[in-house]
Order: sequence, then C-alpha cells, then structure tokens
Amino acid sequence: MATYSVHLKDDIGNKYERKNKYLLQLAQLDEKIKQEADSNKKTELLKERKSLVSNKKKHPHNIRLEEFRKKEGEFLNSLKSNVAEYKKTLSEKTNNQVKNLKTRMYHHEKRIDFYKEYSELTYEADFKYRESKIHVEQIPEIIDFIEGIEAELFQAIEAKDNLDPKDDARMKEDLKSFKKEAKEKRDKEIQKVKERRKEGIISSKAETNAIKEVKREYKNQVKLQEYKIPSKENKDFIRSKKRELANGIRRSEKVLKADVADTRRKIPVEFEKSRPVVAYATILLPGVGQLINGQRRKALFFILATLFSYFIAIPYALGYGNYQGEGVAGLISLAEGGARVDKSLIFMIEGVVAIFLVLIAIGLFYASFRDVLKTERRMIRGIRPTNWFETKRTIFQEGFPYVTSFPAMLVIIFIVLVPVITTFLLSFTNMNPQNQSKFTWVGVDNYKLIALGEGLAGSVFWLIFIWTIIWTLVATTLAILLGFFLALLVNNDRIKGKKFFRTIYILPWAVPAFITIMFFSIMVAPGGVITEILNSIFNSRIEIKNDTVLTRAALILIQGWLGSAYVFLLTTGVLQAIPGDLYEAADIDGASSFEKLRRITVPLVLFQIAPLLVTQYTFNFNNFSVIFLFNSGGPFDPQRYGNLAGSSDLLISYVYKLAFVNQYQAIAAAITIFISLGVMFFAFLGFRRSKGFKEGRL
Amino acid sequence: MALFSKKNKKEKGLYLSDKPPLTVAGIIGLVMSYTILFAWVLAIVWPLFQMVVSAFNGRQQQYIMGNENFEFSLRHFEFLYNETYYLTWVRNTLFIAISTALLTLVMVSFTGYAYSRYRFKGRKASLMAIMLIQTIPTFAGITAFFTMHSIVSSVIPAFSRQMMLILIYAGPAIASNTFILKGYIDSVSTELDDAAKIDGCSNFDIYRLIIMPIARPMLTIIALWSFIGPFMDYLLAKVLLTSPSTYTLAVGLFTLISDFRTMNQPAFAAGGLLTAIPIVIMFVVLQKQLVSGLTSGSVKG
Repeated sequence: MATYSVHLKDDIGNKYERKNKYLLQLAQLDEKIKQEADSNKKTELLKERKSLVSNKKKHPHNIRLEEFRKKEGEFLNSLKSNVAEYKKTLSEKTNNQVKNLKTRMYHHEKRIDFYKEYSELTYEADFKYRESKIHVEQIPEIIDFIEGIEAELFQAIEAKDNLDPKDDARMKEDLKSFKKEAKEKRDKEIQKVKERRKEGIISSKAETNAIKEVKREYKNQVKLQEYKIPSKENKDFIRSKKRELANGIRRSEKVLKADVADTRRKIPVEFEKSRPVVAYATILLPGVGQLINGQRRKALFFILATLFSYFIAIPYALGYGNYQGEGVAGLISLAEGGARVDKSLIFMIEGVVAIFLVLIAIGLFYASFRDVLKTERRMIRGIRPTNWFETKRTIFQEGFPYVTSFPAMLVIIFIVLVPVITTFLLSFTNMNPQNQSKFTWVGVDNYKLIALGEGLAGSVFWLIFIWTIIWTLVATTLAILLGFFLALLVNNDRIKGKKFFRTIYILPWAVPAFITIMFFSIMVAPGGVITEILNSIFNSRIEIKNDTVLTRAALILIQGWLGSAYVFLLTTGVLQAIPGDLYEAADIDGASSFEKLRRITVPLVLFQIAPLLVTQYTFNFNNFSVIFLFNSGGPFDPQRYGNLAGSSDLLISYVYKLAFVNQYQAIAAAITIFISLGVMFFAFLGFRRSKGFKEGRL
Repeated sequence: MALFSKKNKKEKGLYLSDKPPLTVAGIIGLVMSYTILFAWVLAIVWPLFQMVVSAFNGRQQQYIMGNENFEFSLRHFEFLYNETYYLTWVRNTLFIAISTALLTLVMVSFTGYAYSRYRFKGRKASLMAIMLIQTIPTFAGITAFFTMHSIVSSVIPAFSRQMMLILIYAGPAIASNTFILKGYIDSVSTELDDAAKIDGCSNFDIYRLIIMPIARPMLTIIALWSFIGPFMDYLLAKVLLTSPSTYTLAVGLFTLISDFRTMNQPAFAAGGLLTAIPIVIMFVVLQKQLVSGLTSGSVKG
C-alpha cells in the first residue's frame, strides 16, 4: 500500500507542512498505522483510512480546493481579456518593450490579488502568488532602467543633429598636432630604450618589451584624444548605450528567472499520487511523460527522440527504408533468395547499422524513462519539477559532456565500429570469387582454412606469416640499432657540426615515405642507378626485383634507412636531456666509456622510448606502403606462393590482394581479424605503460 | 667567446679544455666516428640527390636510366603540369588533409575537454571503449568502407568518396587523440577553471576562453599529425578512390611508375620533389612539436 509522509521535503531536505488537509490526515493516519503494534487497533485505523479515501470528494479541504479551481478558471478567462484591454490603453508612443513589460506588470498585479487569499489553501496558489510578487517587485526596475537609457539615447540622437561641423574640424586639427607631438615623444622614448640596450644595461627581451609598452602607451593616448571629436564621441556614446540597453534587459530577465527558479525550489508541490506511474506508463513514448509532468519544452526534445525511434530506427531495423537490406533480419538471411541485384554485403552492413540504430533508440528510451521517473519521485517527495530555465541550466552544466562528445561518438560508431563489426561478421561467411553478390554463413571455416593452411588462399598463410614476423623483427631492429648508434655518435661532445648531421639525418623521416620508396623502387629496377652500379661491381646482371632474397634484403635495408631517422630523433631528444653530472660521477668512479654507455645511456634511453619502439614493431608488421610500393609484393613465385601472393608480401598486403584484387573477401576478413587482434594486443601493452593509464585517471 | 680567445692567445700551450686530452685511441675513434657519420650522410643524400637530378635531367625518357648524361631541363615538370592531374592531386590531398585536421580538431577539443574535466555517468565505460577502439587498426574495416559509401551516396548523392575518406581518417584519429588531449588537459590545474566559474563563466566559456588557449600547443600537434596522416597514406586512398581525378598525391604519383599506360618515371621524380619540399621544410621547422606529439601520446605508429 502506498503511504504518504506528513512533511514535504525540498531539494536540500528542508521540511514543509502539508497544506492539503486531506492528504495531511491521510499521512497522519499512515504514520499511526505504522507505529501501531496492536493488530485490532490497526485494522480499525485502516478502516478509518479507507473511509477517508472513499469520502475523498466530501472532505472539506477538497471541497474548498474544487471551489478554488473553479474560481481560478473564471479568473484566468477574465484576466486574458482584461490584459488585452489594458494593453490598448497604453499610449501608442511607448516603446514595445516597455509596453510588454507594463502589460506583464498588470497581469501579475491581478494575479497577486487573486491568489493571495488562497495562498494558505494550497501550495499551488502560494507559488503563483509569490511568483507574481517577484515579477511585480522587479519589473518596475527594468522599466525604469529602459526609460532612463532611452532618455539618454534620445538626447544623444538629438545632439547628433545639432553638432557643429566646425567643432569637429577644429578638433581634428588638434588631434593631428597632438598625434605629431606624441609620435615625436614616442620615437624619443624608443631611441632611449635602444641606447640603453646598446650600453648593455638591459637585455634584448627587456628592450622589445619596453618598446612594445611605449607603442601601446602612444596608441592609448591617441585613442583618448580621438574621443574629443564631438561626432565620434556622440557616435560611440550611442553605440555603447544601445549595447548597455540590450545587455541590461537580458541580465535583468535572467535575474528574474533565477529568482523565480529559486522560489520554485523553496515552495513544495503536493501530489495525490504516492507512486510513480507515469514513468512506467509512458516508457514507450519518450516525451509524453515530460508533458504530463508539465515540462513542455523538455518534452519537445524527447518527442524528437520518439520520432527518431518510431520513424527511423525501428522501421529501419524492421527493413523499411533500407537501401537494399531487410534491417536486422538481413543479417540472418544475407539476401538469400533475394533479387539478382541484392548484395549480401549490403544486407550485412545495413543489419549492423540497424542494430546500432536500435541501440541508440533504446538508450533514448531509457534516458527518457529515467528522467520522468526521477521527476515523478521528486514530485512525490514534494519537489517541484524543473522548468525550462532550470533544465537549460542543467543541460549546459551537467549535460555539457554528453552534448559535446555526441558528434564524436556518432563518427566513431559509424566509421569505426560498423565497418569493423562488418569485417568480423564477414570472416564467418564464404564471400569469394564464386559468391560475390550472394554469400552465406559458413561458421569458422575460414579460420580453419587459415589455421590448417588449406585451400587456395589459406595455403600460403603460414609462409607469409613467417616472413611477416621475420620482416618485422629484422627491419625494425635494424632501424632501431642504426638510429640509436647514430644518435650516440652525433651526441659525442667532440663531434662538431651537430646541427648539420641532425638536419641531414632526419631527412628520411621528413621526406614522405611513399616518395622515397617509389624512388628506390625505380633505382633498383632493371636499368636503374643502383642496378647499374651493382652490375658494374659484380660484373653480372643482377635483377633485384626478380629475386626473392634480394628483394627482401632490399626491403629491409630501405626500411632501415627510413625508420632509423625516427629512432635517431627520439634518441637524440632523450640523450640531450640526460644530466651531465651522471657521466661526471661515473668518470670520477673510473668508468670506461663502454661502461658509461651500458649502465647510464642505454637504460635511460630505453626506459623512455621503449613504448614508442613497440609501436615501431606494430607499424612495420602492417607496413603496407613499403611492400606494395616497392615491388607490389613481388617477385611472384607461383610454385611456392600460388597466384594470389608474391614472395615479399606481408599479411596486410596479402589481405589487400585477397580482398581487392582476387575477391576472396571472407578469408581476407579472417586474416584481418587475426592481425587486428595481434596489433591490439601490442598496442594495449604499450598503452598500459602510458601515463594516463597508470595514474588511474580514467 | 671573445674573452676566451684572448686568453687563449695569451697563454698558448696551456690546455684549458674541460675534456680530458685526446689519446691516440681517442683520435682513431673520432676519425672513425666522422667516417661513419659522413658515410651515413652520403647514404641519405645520395638517393635524394638522384631524385633531384632525374627530375631536372632532360635526357631521361620514360624510364630513369642510370647511365645517361645530364642536361638541365624543366620538361618533366611541364609534363607533370600539362599531361597529368598533378595539380588536382595536390588540391585533393590538401582538401582531404585539411578537412581531416579540422574535423579531428573540433571533435577532439570537445571530447578531450569533456573527459578531462567532467565526471559524468558512463564516463569510465565509454573511455575504456574508446581506448579499445583506438587500438583497432584502421584497415580492419576496409572491406566495408567501399560498400558503405555506396549505401550512403545512394541516399545523399553529394557524399563523395573523398568525404568518406575524410571520415575514415578522422574517426580513429578522434578516438586516439581524445586520449592525448585528455592527458594534456589533465596536467593543467583546475584552479583556472574554478576561478573562471566563480567569475560567471559558463562551461562553454571555460572551454573557449581557458582550456583552448592553454591546450593550444597540443592542439597544434594534433592538427599537424591529422594533417600529415592523409598525405602519407596509400592503402585507404587506393581502395576508396577509383578515378584519376579524385586521387591523392600518393595514389596519383604511384600511377606514374606502376601503370604502363601512364608510366613516366622522371615526371614522378619531379612530382615527388615538388611534394617533398614543403613537407620537408615543415618537418624540419616543426621538428620539436612533431616529436613531442609522438612521445606524449603515441599509441599507434
């Protein structure tokens, strides 16, 4: 059984007496029933309560309340016409804003008269009475403010017409001479500062600052002088007054609303309901609950959510309004038995999109439900629902993170998650050259093919995988060692021309990699520069691009060339930051330079750049550009690699060839998932060590 | 410096350096160091020099040959300008890169701020989700991108492949940079925010007037890297862009050396040179910022 509490409570827990005598009586009975131990008396009390409830309409308080409601209706009707009449009596001349304010004033004055006598009867009337009172107190101030400024403006505008152009001209002359004088003074000051700099009394930074200051001072003086020109002064005066007017009104309105909101918080509501019902009843119709609770503008937003859910998300999920697919059902059918143009892949993507749309809709439903429930529960406790002014404030304060990161979340969901999930699902299908437009679910067959190294596409997987691992380890390690070694050499105290070396050494990093890779590819092609040189040295025809071993070696060397610059840069940064006294202390202790390197330099550098080196390994694991742009994964070796892959292909370029050249999308997807999991694992390892994660500031 | 040299002249023969005197082994080591350093300079400069030479060598025909003589000419640049879409590629790349950078910047600036400064419901969960998502390599969704584009463009015909590409570049960039920026803003004390709040700043005012100016160095880095990303990428652009007039530089220039119909290696060298120069200048000038961006939050290579 729902019970009532004797007191009403507001936001911060202040207690208020109930004004509704009927509810008070009920509440008191409830209290008694709770405390009563004797079961006989308890049943009696319960009976009493029942009779009270059944005689609800005859309760004196309710009768008075009914009377009040009737009168209020009459009053409001007459108020409307009264206000309209009053508006007509206002003179035509008064400005619109003032007119509106005066009408509002009149409106609230009438309201005060009416609600005052009922303010003891119900909190509703009490609130309306006090609300109007605030208006009546504050509106005159606003009117005064407007009229004051209007008068000033009026004067200024009149003065504008009476301005003497001669005055203007004279003041302009004055200004010119003033400017000249001030300029001379300024130049002299600057000269002085410069001299002091020459004498070495002040630093160059102090010099520039002092000059800046002098110049600013000059500007300010000129500006001040400019305002002595009457026309300019007048213009500026009018502008600033207009601004003051607009700002002032806005500010006062805000204050007024804030005061009303404050009263809202202080005057409770009384509610006959003792259990939230609306929230559950309107759970499927976001917006309606808010409407029932009297939050009209908030309701509007949630009604948009309803429209989105019922006219976009749900129909889409059911298959209406799809490009081709059948919504979520398309995920199962995959266009089986559909028209010729229907493509399974489209069905799949639309299914995934549909799922996300439904999830968003459910999220909105839930948000609305929570909102209505919260408001209702608060109303039962006695807290008045927030009005738009308050809601807006909450949205801008607490809702800020949601509102601002919403677009980013949408992009992440639809651009990152949807495709990735599609790829994941695709890896369980049989999308291959024979089943391009229509394919079906085949379970984990693709993964089996890969794992066992069977089938046309799977047979070379392990071969490629091993080369990928070798490539990753060798190429990255080479680059790291090279970069580290070079950085050590350049950082030696005795080496001169550090800047020169450093600038040259970062060139491989600075020149876009695709350009250098392509140019290396040209240079080692038959007839290319490098080929010619090698030929003349070894006196034989060497064709790097047609030899598996040579191609692989060339690739590793190129990546060493490319990657060393980055490691060089990182290491140099760390080396420069190592304090010199560490080495001095080591010197005093008699350490050799090798020991210093082993015990100071390497640990310090490694500690700082290790996470970045991990990313170098994952980067090379997926280094599509260097493989594809150098020799398109070739040379081809059909006996070992079949027709789908070349002998220098990495997994990623193999995926590319499978999916986009040979149309084995399903197997490509399975390999992609395999690679991604590996990369994610290593990325996570690197990430776990990062600062943001460690400090637990998630 | 002037002071020291005077002294040196006066007291010639006195060893005044902080460093211990060079031993014979030290001298040999130093000579070896210089040899290695210059050898590496050669290894870096020589290929780049070859590229410059081939770009200006009028003697080169369709293929760049190693044994030809040099004759200065700008004809490869003319070819590039007249016979290929080079300028369109530049425009496309700039369009894609700038849009990606802007989109990333706007979104990340909001998410980074929100995640750093607010404790809202679902924050931890969504942050973990973003963290996982940003470790997924971009190419994982590659098979779906093309089809997704055709679905969207059937609804909105104006949605071009390049726009899809921008979104594809921006999506993961938003995820990973949210973390970087969040970490950066975390390191800024909240006292400034509190002071601003007391002075009556709204949340948006704090974002605009306090956080953005403070985070500017990191925002610059984020913008720079999001700008560079599309410049360097070949794979995604190759998969999505299909007609030569929509290509980016990486894809477009590759057609000059891979396709027999459009093969012109010297023109490639010329185009590569033109593309590389501004980027190299940018990298050398902004070296410090770019590296600090990598070290501060690098998770992906």
